[in-house]
Amino acid sequence: MTSSSVTPLKPSTPDPTAEPTVQAGSTNGRPVLQVEGVNKIYANGTVALKGADLTVRQGEFVSLLGPSGCGKSTLLRIMAGLGDVTSGSIKFWEQEYNVVGDKGRKMAFVFQNATLMPWARVRKNVRLPLDLEHQSGPETEQKIDKALEMVGLSGFDNSFPRELSGGMQMRASIARAMVTEPNLLLMDEPFGALDEMTRNKLNDDVLKLWQKNGWTIVFVTHSVYEAVYLSSRVVVMAARPGRIVDDIKIDQPFPRNADFRVSTEFAGYCRQVSQALERASAMGAPQEKKA
Amino acid sequence: MKEPLIQNETFVKIAAPMVVGVFFLLFWQIAVVAFEMPKYILPGPIEIMKSLVTDWSTLLNALMMTLKITLLAFVIAVVLGVAASLLFIQSKWIELSLFPYAVLLQVTPVVAIAPLIIIWVDDTTWALTVCAVIIAIFPIISNTTLGLRSVDPNLLSMFRMYRTSRWQELVRLRIPGALPYFFGGLRISCGLALIGAVVAEFVAGTGGSKAGLAYLILQSGYNLQIPRMFAALVLITLTGIALFALMVWLSDRALRNWHESALEVEH
Ligand SMILES: Nc1ncnc2c1ncn2[C@@H]1O[C@H](COP(=O)(O)OP(=O)(O)O)[C@@H](O)[C@H]1O
Ligand SMILES: [Mg+2]
Repeated sequence: MTSSSVTPLKPSTPDPTAEPTVQAGSTNGRPVLQVEGVNKIYANGTVALKGADLTVRQGEFVSLLGPSGCGKSTLLRIMAGLGDVTSGSIKFWEQEYNVVGDKGRKMAFVFQNATLMPWARVRKNVRLPLDLEHQSGPETEQKIDKALEMVGLSGFDNSFPRELSGGMQMRASIARAMVTEPNLLLMDEPFGALDEMTRNKLNDDVLKLWQKNGWTIVFVTHSVYEAVYLSSRVVVMAARPGRIVDDIKIDQPFPRNADFRVSTEFAGYCRQVSQALERASAMGAPQEKKA
Repeated sequence: MKEPLIQNETFVKIAAPMVVGVFFLLFWQIAVVAFEMPKYILPGPIEIMKSLVTDWSTLLNALMMTLKITLLAFVIAVVLGVAASLLFIQSKWIELSLFPYAVLLQVTPVVAIAPLIIIWVDDTTWALTVCAVIIAIFPIISNTTLGLRSVDPNLLSMFRMYRTSRWQELVRLRIPGALPYFFGGLRISCGLALIGAVVAEFVAGTGGSKAGLAYLILQSGYNLQIPRMFAALVLITLTGIALFALMVWLSDRALRNWHESALEVEH
């Protein structure tokens, strides 16, 4: 799994890739991301995050759920090392970001839109992270083939993004994230723009890949059902100021399938999470400007 | 079964304006004959065609001169314009300090500064070229700069996540993304280069072996050779159309795989 271009680590530095694979959904894995007392105030004065504390452990599937504007994207971007925090600390594999160095590559980000380069064919889009790291050769081509195969896009190498449906574009986007063989996947409402059928299908695919590859996923959504169906843990956020208000463990086994969607447990968790979300929305409401 | 021609989009697109054109010319010719219009006031299309044939060598020489200045100015405008855009996107400060001067170039009427340039630049060809560059460069600068700046912020974030160099960001992301804007700039700019070349020559009024179409028009006016004047005008128009068509073709070729502007409408 270690690519040749990764800088050798000092002996004292724990190597995440050497870690034994943790059971999917386990809650006692090593911390992958530790957000501690993070505040984020944008230049225009918006308090996007206030005192956010969150630990994501290896093998977890954590959903960030909350009304729009509660800082989900902000938190996710901070976790990805995109954008500064106003105060507080964020650790990646128990180290400050600045010493993580090249290991940053083991993380991949999936945006709400497919965010493909329209001028490049699917294969070129998928290989972008490898190109940016100046990787080439037969091994690289194999990685690309594998990523395309995993998302079911084999044979679409030479298509342009606009020739693909929305769902297929999203698959290409996921393939691009997977091509670096990440062990942490950050997804910001990745399927929000898709129809429900496609969305359910992709959710199942992501779940399977997560289980199979021992990934850790942080998944932003505003759908209670999606959050409960996918996650081992649902983190509920409230707006104005953006903060974490609830942390609900979805104690149900994986793999999950259509049966889980109609089970009483599923309904129970959905009710619990919905109520938490309602409380969260009510917290943000009084400060809302009246029209 | 083959569809009737009248339902063929391409055929209609070409035929309809042609029909209008033919009727217009016909009407013009009939009017000129019917009102016994003297040809030193308004020649008919047939007179103009005759002049195109009899004065062809003079016209061709002038056309070549004008074309040379136009193309020279266009190429220089593209090179300098793109270079300026690349400079502008290096920092907001550079853009803020220099962009107003690009606007200044744009809003100054070339007719007003052409005499100065003709005094400063000895060689007439270069003097005219400079005038044409001044007119043609602005759309290139403004379009290309806009294009280089219009990057999908998420894609940019991705590049940042992989700690990409600015060079990589430019080559892999900004330049390809700017192409549609750049080609838009080319379409406007090629026409302006031609206008610049013609207008500058009107102001310069230089004759002799280096005379272009503008001088030919001036001279024909003095000599009341109005059909030749129209013939020169026809050549300028045709040149403009040809240049524009060439740019459209180039941009379609470059963008046809991915950009909406080059998409065929499907039926
Ligand atoms: N770049 C920015 N500058 C200023 N305010 C921002 C910026 N990005 C987001 N915000 C504000 O921060 C708050 C949280 O935004 P965001 O993290 O996008 O929320 P969510 O993803 O939960 O909808 C919102 O009020 C939003 O308007
Ligand atoms: Mg968001």
